[in-house]
Amino acid sequence: MSALEARNLHKRFGGLEVISNLNLTVPPGQRRAVIGPNGAGKTTFINLVTGWLSPTSGNVLVDGHAVAGRPEKVTRSGIARSFQRNMLLEDLTVVENLRVACQAFHPCRRVFWRSKRAFATVIEKAERAAERMHLTDILEVPAKHLSYGQKRQLEVALALCAEPKILLMDEPAAGTSPQERARLIDLINGLPRDITILLVEHDMDVVFATCDLITVLSYGKVLATGTRREIQDDPTVMEAYLGHRHAGD
Amino acid sequence: MQVFLTQILNGLQLSMLVYLLAAGLTLIFGLMNILNLAHGAFFTLGAYCGVVVGSLTGSFWLALLVGPLLPFLVGVGLQSMVLQPLAERGRSTHLDLALLTFGLLFATAGAVEWLFGSAFLSIPTPVALSGHVNLLGISYPVYRLFIIGVGLAVAVGLTFVFDRTLLGATLRAGVDNRAMVTALGVNINALFAIVFGLGAALAGLAGVIAAPLTSVYSQMGITIVVETFVVVVVGGLGNLRGSFYASLIVGMTNAMSQAYLPEVEMFAIYALLIGVMIVRPQGLFRNVERVG
Amino acid sequence: MSDEVTIARTSTTTREAITLATEVRRATLVLAASAIVGALALPWLSASYATTLAIEIMIAGIFASGINLLVGATGLVSLGQGMFLGLGGYGIGIGTTVLGLPLWLSVPGTLVVVAIMAAGIGAVCTRTRGVEFLLITLAFSQMFFGSAIKLRLTNGSDGMSGIPRPDLTFLGLNGDNPVVFYYYVLVVTVVAVAAMWRIVESPFGSVLAAIRESERRASAMGYAVSSYKVGAFIIAAVTCAVAGILQSQYTYFINPDSMSWQLSGEGVLMVIIGGTTTVVGPLVGAAVFVLAKQGLSILTTEYMMFFGIFFMLVVAFFRNGVVEALKSALWSKP
Repeated sequence: MSALEARNLHKRFGGLEVISNLNLTVPPGQRRAVIGPNGAGKTTFINLVTGWLSPTSGNVLVDGHAVAGRPEKVTRSGIARSFQRNMLLEDLTVVENLRVACQAFHPCRRVFWRSKRAFATVIEKAERAAERMHLTDILEVPAKHLSYGQKRQLEVALALCAEPKILLMDEPAAGTSPQERARLIDLINGLPRDITILLVEHDMDVVFATCDLITVLSYGKVLATGTRREIQDDPTVMEAYLGHRHAGD
Repeated sequence: MQVFLTQILNGLQLSMLVYLLAAGLTLIFGLMNILNLAHGAFFTLGAYCGVVVGSLTGSFWLALLVGPLLPFLVGVGLQSMVLQPLAERGRSTHLDLALLTFGLLFATAGAVEWLFGSAFLSIPTPVALSGHVNLLGISYPVYRLFIIGVGLAVAVGLTFVFDRTLLGATLRAGVDNRAMVTALGVNINALFAIVFGLGAALAGLAGVIAAPLTSVYSQMGITIVVETFVVVVVGGLGNLRGSFYASLIVGMTNAMSQAYLPEVEMFAIYALLIGVMIVRPQGLFRNVERVG
Repeated sequence: MSDEVTIARTSTTTREAITLATEVRRATLVLAASAIVGALALPWLSASYATTLAIEIMIAGIFASGINLLVGATGLVSLGQGMFLGLGGYGIGIGTTVLGLPLWLSVPGTLVVVAIMAAGIGAVCTRTRGVEFLLITLAFSQMFFGSAIKLRLTNGSDGMSGIPRPDLTFLGLNGDNPVVFYYYVLVVTVVAVAAMWRIVESPFGSVLAAIRESERRASAMGYAVSSYKVGAFIIAAVTCAVAGILQSQYTYFINPDSMSWQLSGEGVLMVIIGGTTTVVGPLVGAAVFVLAKQGLSILTTEYMMFFGIFFMLVVAFFRNGVVEALKSALWSKP
């Protein structure tokens, strides 16, 4: 049973078909990269999987079941994502961002008569999440004052707070420094093997250092799926990225 | 059957009057993302201007021509001197601008009260448009047909300008990518100011046209503006075509409930609004998909 | 105040930072203490005019607090909260004068009815956001306003009179005495503000804050955002209804003007003036507003026009509230 499966997925916006007959299967525990030139439909694909968009036709299956539909239900069913453009709670501190994220599955979330500080388990979870992402030094800093790289880290940390079975990351390395990228690689490699990871990335260093298998998307279709060597040797992939003239070189 | 036909025409007339207001409001919102809560003020302003011109010159047609002029100027001034600079400073979000226009609503309501008092004024129906005409077996007031005609003409005109002219395309492009259009040499600020003025002028026109039918009083903008809001939300904010259809729905609902169910007349519109919000909160005619 | 300056200030020597913080804390404590003492002692200190003004400020403050839960805490700007103030007042009006129920039944009964109505209205309104939400709340408010004028039950535009004040004879006090009423309102105000504070600090409140900051992120975290919005809507409505009950008891009277769009606008203005980030902000805003309105009405009869101009100026230049503006001004001292 695959962790994540897309079957004959189509997504159309008016006259434009952004995802065309996309078929993809990710077995549990795999680290899969999804790469492709800009406009290939990578973020749209993630939006379809996580409930932000609904497919024009076709199915997305998680553990064999159809995807829950609305984003909050998708997260509850064990899928979390980080966003391409940071979507942080800007005016709140780093620790509060994490605490709110960790609180989402705790029964205390509906309590309106007691202080949030009374629920220590949630706060501890948040602090542990901060440790994992090397954010402990900046816990009390409002998210809007973080550097771009730190924001990216927080973005991934928030997704991890949901304790997902499947983690989708949308260009987590974008705009980060080499040290931050190295930390990201360590983080991904350090995640438990029972989490399935789908990584949309442009940065091939990160992809090669973390992923078992690579899927190449182009114009909303799967062009090729394979190991690093297979993708690098595939002429259609080169053509998609570099254009027709280079394909034969 | 004849009564029913009369009601249909009444509904159409109400629709067209509301459409003039809704078109202006949704135009301003669709293009500039500003919700002008003071839109009713332009309606009132146009009506009072019409009264002044009408009583000075004795000519309805002159009132019709000049009435919308002051709202146009106020609209242009408001957009270029208040709203545009604030939006550019980046401090004000669309919500802030909407609140700003809310303050303007207070100010204009107060100003009108102060300048004209609470007396009820009117513009007499012009001779050419008074009387009744025989239409499909019923006798129907010519003036109401005139209102229907004006509304339809404006609808056709607006659709033509926006869908088929360079000006319309430029405006639509300006909303999508303001910087690019400016870089292409178009003075988008001037364009937006004129469009705001146009929206205001339409409301003012509606005010002058409504005057012979209903009285002119300081609170007249308030009642019709809530109906306008319902139309604009039901049609989809920013959707010009949607506003037209929604105006028809609201106008018909109003007329039918006035005629057949007078006790629920007021609630009919709100029931419509609630119904639409439950079923399709983005408006009945919105065809743009909200990307998550 | 730029972010760079704030960060620089944060990395100023620790000692300076601590001294500044202690000073601010000390100043706030002194201010708070004098406010409390002043509030308790007011009726003895001054003429009855100040007492009636204080009553009006407190009632307005409760109204504004309710609005702030929606506007400040959750980020939902509603222009229709006047309807709940009116529903509160009309609720006990109908309960006491039409149904003949005693206050201790009418008040909770009204609040329960308001909560149920708010659940329904909120469920519909929260399907929209931003400017559409603004419009819908305004439309609902106008609907209730129109009903209040047209229905015979509510006595039309004449309004309902004879609304009783609380019967405090078991305490040996007469509710009709303005001083007694003042303390009654003071108690309710303190309870209301304390309740607001607890709600904002609670897990539920933290979810509202998350929704305000980024609704999409809150959804992505797994929160059923709509139910939290409706929850906030209900709490805000009940708070505004409490203000309405106090208002109608204060004047022994309620009429449709208590649910006009003007009133909703005034409430939002109070919140903007006072600042949305604190629990006392709405009270400060209410105080500024009531005092300004008193001052304006002495100067001119054209209150509405100048009020509108004032409203626009505040929105344009003090969007984060006068309190925040003062804070920035104080912090920018070298």
